[in-house]
Amino acid sequence: MADETNSGTGTDAGTSTESNQRTTKPGTKRLFLTVSILVSFLLGVPFLLKSTEIHRSPLPSAAISSLSDHLQSKPPSFPCHFQAIFLSPSIQPDSSLSLSIAEKLNAHLTTQTCGNCNFTFSATVDSGSSCHHLGNAPSDACQWRCGGAGLVDAIADRDDREVDELLQSTVNKRTGGCAGRVYSVFVMEGERERVVVGKHRHAWMVVKKLDDSASVSLMIGTVFGDYFMRGGVGKGEYVPVGSDGNVVLSYSLLNSDPSDWVYDWGFQMTGEVLLGPVMEALAPVANITIESQVLYHAPKSSTSYWDDKLEVYVVNTRDLPFFVNSNEWHLDTSLSASGRSKVLQFVVYVPSASECPLYIRTPEGEMSKTNAFISPMWGGVAIWNPPGCSMQSQEDPLVRDSLPPQELEKIIEIFIGQLRLLFGLNSSYVESNPIYKFLASEKGFTDWELDLLYRQHTCFNLLSGLSTLQSLSRLVESLPRMIVMDEIGKQVELSLEAANLAKRNISHGINNASALSSTRARALAEDAFFHPSIMSISYSSMEHYFAIYMPFFAPVTLHVLLAAMKEVKRYYAERSKYLTFRASKVKSS
Amino acid sequence: MASQMLLSLLVFYFYSFHLARPIHCSLGSNGIDTASVSKEEFSEELLLKPLPDRKVLAHFHFTSTSPPSASNGRHHHLFPKSIAQLVKKYKIKELELSFTQGRWNYDRWGASDPLSTRNAKPPGVELWARFDVLTKEEIDTTWGNLTNSLSGLFCASINFLESSTSHSTPLWGFLPNNGDLRYGALPREAVCTENLTPWLKLLPCRDKAGIATLLDRPSIYRGHYHSQRLKLRSDRLNGIVIEQTLSAVLQPSDRTSWSMYQLFKKIITEKCALAKSSRVFVEIEGNLGSKNENILELVGEADMVVNDQNGHSTIYQYNVERYSEHEPLDIMVNWRDPLQLSFLQAPFHASRFLMGSGNERGSIAISLQSARNFTKGLYDGSNNCFTKVVVFQVVPWYVKVYYHTLRIYVDGEIRDTKDVVEKINITPSEDKVSPGTLEMMLRFPCGMISAALTLDFDKGFLHIDEYPPDANQGFDIPSALVSFPDFISSRIYPDSISSPLLHSYKGRNVVKSYTEVLLVPLTTPDFSMPYNVITFTCTVLALYFGSMINVLRRRISEEERLAKSNDKRRPGFIPLLISRITNKIRGRKEDLADQSQSSQPLLGHKVIFKVVLIAVVATLWHYFLNTS
Repeated sequence: MADETNSGTGTDAGTSTESNQRTTKPGTKRLFLTVSILVSFLLGVPFLLKSTEIHRSPLPSAAISSLSDHLQSKPPSFPCHFQAIFLSPSIQPDSSLSLSIAEKLNAHLTTQTCGNCNFTFSATVDSGSSCHHLGNAPSDACQWRCGGAGLVDAIADRDDREVDELLQSTVNKRTGGCAGRVYSVFVMEGERERVVVGKHRHAWMVVKKLDDSASVSLMIGTVFGDYFMRGGVGKGEYVPVGSDGNVVLSYSLLNSDPSDWVYDWGFQMTGEVLLGPVMEALAPVANITIESQVLYHAPKSSTSYWDDKLEVYVVNTRDLPFFVNSNEWHLDTSLSASGRSKVLQFVVYVPSASECPLYIRTPEGEMSKTNAFISPMWGGVAIWNPPGCSMQSQEDPLVRDSLPPQELEKIIEIFIGQLRLLFGLNSSYVESNPIYKFLASEKGFTDWELDLLYRQHTCFNLLSGLSTLQSLSRLVESLPRMIVMDEIGKQVELSLEAANLAKRNISHGINNASALSSTRARALAEDAFFHPSIMSISYSSMEHYFAIYMPFFAPVTLHVLLAAMKEVKRYYAERSKYLTFRASKVKSS
Repeated sequence: MASQMLLSLLVFYFYSFHLARPIHCSLGSNGIDTASVSKEEFSEELLLKPLPDRKVLAHFHFTSTSPPSASNGRHHHLFPKSIAQLVKKYKIKELELSFTQGRWNYDRWGASDPLSTRNAKPPGVELWARFDVLTKEEIDTTWGNLTNSLSGLFCASINFLESSTSHSTPLWGFLPNNGDLRYGALPREAVCTENLTPWLKLLPCRDKAGIATLLDRPSIYRGHYHSQRLKLRSDRLNGIVIEQTLSAVLQPSDRTSWSMYQLFKKIITEKCALAKSSRVFVEIEGNLGSKNENILELVGEADMVVNDQNGHSTIYQYNVERYSEHEPLDIMVNWRDPLQLSFLQAPFHASRFLMGSGNERGSIAISLQSARNFTKGLYDGSNNCFTKVVVFQVVPWYVKVYYHTLRIYVDGEIRDTKDVVEKINITPSEDKVSPGTLEMMLRFPCGMISAALTLDFDKGFLHIDEYPPDANQGFDIPSALVSFPDFISSRIYPDSISSPLLHSYKGRNVVKSYTEVLLVPLTTPDFSMPYNVITFTCTVLALYFGSMINVLRRRISEEERLAKSNDKRRPGFIPLLISRITNKIRGRKEDLADQSQSSQPLLGHKVIFKVVLIAVVATLWHYFLNTS
């Protein structure tokens, strides 16, 4: 305040002359003061915004969308090698055969679905004495090494199972290290035309004339294209595996009305023996655990009625959606199915005396042969009618009957078939063409079917994991006040990394590793999406933000802006006065 | 569920599975391991007991056992799979979970018979468990997971017991153990059918058949007291044993006679087909069989009548198997002289209350009143006779108890704590970390009529986030447990009755009673306070800032000079106003008209400009808010 006199126009200037006259230069002290306050305020704005910012871990949304676009437009395809081996001592097939088979195979590839084979094809004529390679094999290591002409005689007098094992050992011997990756078809001449698809990765066919290249190529193309590549139908939309790769198979025996009869079962013995190989076979796709329980007082909820012609109670197919009685069937989710694992329910339903025997009637009016049905992603139900159910109920209900082991085996076989269906495979291959035969594996799944499952599983995991990541990034973008923890960001990054790794492994043909890292990618994506903190949208909305800061900033900014404006205006006014004074002084002098 | 199912029918000609392994041979002729199947057992019992105040106690008791087996938790026939999985996953040795509504009336319904000492529970939820885990940290995490699983299983907010502020680790006050026990209580948990249904799901017959059909929800929940309990024990020798009990005190509509149908509006027509035994008992307290006929009359012939060895009670047994739909079991009791029916009191009547007023401090008092018939029998006149009393109390951290203020009064006179307290274990509360636990063994002379303990406390402040939605209702302090280790309640019945329920009466059941739940009102803040503080502070700061900037910037002298020079040209606002008013008074209208004519268009222009400016600002503001 003390130096006010010499800062502005000053009292000395004002007293002597009128107000539009100015003899001294206008001072800049107050101007500097107000402008510096304004500037410091403007500089402070970023700091304020930064300090009130909500913590949001940056998500790599660009990388996510680019990867998912890439997967959508060009689904990853797995390298497979097909080879056809003609076991014939005499005939020299022409090279056009190889070309026509390749053409047939290409025709099967029209639909661009995920999990397809990016195949190479080769054909070999093994005549014992000479060896012709048609087409191009990927490498010499995987090429068929001739010398298997003796197989024709060996095959002739053995049954199919033995032939299958024989061929498996031959394939192992003659394709070296590639045995696990090569699908082969052996073609030979014979009287009875037939095609047998084995348990492993090969098939053999007996044709009448090897020269008939059109029919031979059609058959080879069907075996490779329809079965080895696509598993017959190739549904594979649903993969009933929890996002952490766990599946609990929960087997329940339901007694509809214990006052009529009570059945128990020895599941822990039979079940473990029969299902053990299945669990082992599916281990790379899913980590399976098995549980069982017996429940009582569990009636079905759909109606059944007496059919005079069949002399049984029937449930129509259209009533099946109401069969599962969620009110009375306490098929609890298992405690061991923690986190995001999947529980598949398999139910054996024992009808009560008032509805026994109970059968499912197909739309064609026949009785179902298995008396069972599935519900995708939920599980399966099999009806088991107790023997002699038309008789009166037992005298002593306390004595619990047990399901005969043979019956239980049959039911478990049905359940294995249902499991195959739930995994998107055919429960069985019934061909219109009777010359086809399929060997079944005691594991429930043949090697080539498992390959197919790995491929589909990897693909499904990749796609669903990425779609989860995409929805997460979209959600985060749409809610600007949502807190995104660092952990989520990290999980998203790891998930992307795993997805990229899986993609790379697919192109290199490492099936196991790609299945594993795709499972990891999906699990991490789901972890990020279902992170407990994701729901904690910041309580301080935009309105709160303004409500808190307005009482301070509104009056203060008003002051600062006005002061700066006034001061600048005054400075210019005073300076123009001074300039005119100087000009007049110069003029006068 | 059904609607969303996309069903497809299997019409498969079954894919010929040639199963490689010969299963038939390995399983023997029958094919089923009958030993392990038949071992899982279930039995159901109901005990009806007329109470002296003409109410009826109905006590349902279901027992399920699962023998020790490797497949426990995976393959089950009768035993609930979920419970077995719980035991296996959390390595539980012992667990008891109770849901209770209402308070057991120790004075009227009995306090020292095995039924009440074993089954009377504090209101709300009480959970304790012992674990077979090694370290303390492991036990704490296991407890947390267990509470979450149980809360999912029983549709209750048991998961609130997970936080370390709500459970405690009593060493000997609750049950002697070696640090592997965790105890927690939720006194305010409301109990209703949604807790009963999952409880019933654990029974093989649920409420579809057998004794459990009597559990008609309206009849049960209309009662004066209702407690549903799940107790399980697991060891390598006996496997897992679960006891599910439900006790309800019901008021019959007729004061002189009641039947089972009148009580439950249901009757038992058949036993649960899975039960090994299914029985209904009627217990008459106090007198021998012959004398009972003077007091009440049982309609319906009992299968067996047995007396307790000490003559405390008589049991009438009815086997449900004998009854059918045509001849249902409906026991009827006619009162003759209910006044003669006696019951066994606890040695002391325990009650707990709060003292003091205001929102700052108060004190908790536990009072013990001697029951007259007990002291008479015990007091032999000498000074060497003492009665032991164990008090176990958990206090939440926001009630800060000063344990040094413990005062003990015996017969109205203050006593030195050293003389009375035999053993004491205090775990002081830690703010926002753990509750305070008090375990105390007291020794009172036998002839004592009454005793009281008081403890002072300060009420703590909670953080604004920690208040529950209904903060003004107050906060509950869970029931304290007062037990009398010198008094054992047991009933020994002849072995001819092999009933799990009566068998449990044989054990050493220490007489104990739970006190009332206390309601402590805490200071609740004005929950809008943070905003008020923010806005007020901001306004003050803005005022200060505004005046500071003005002081720094303004040139007082220059403004005065300017004002003076302006005066010469145009009168100021206030002089103008004064002159206008005086003009008006004098009636010089022409001058006023002149003025208004000249100023009005200018004024209108300004007003329009201002309105437009405000409208623009408002639109921009709105737009900004909507886009952000």
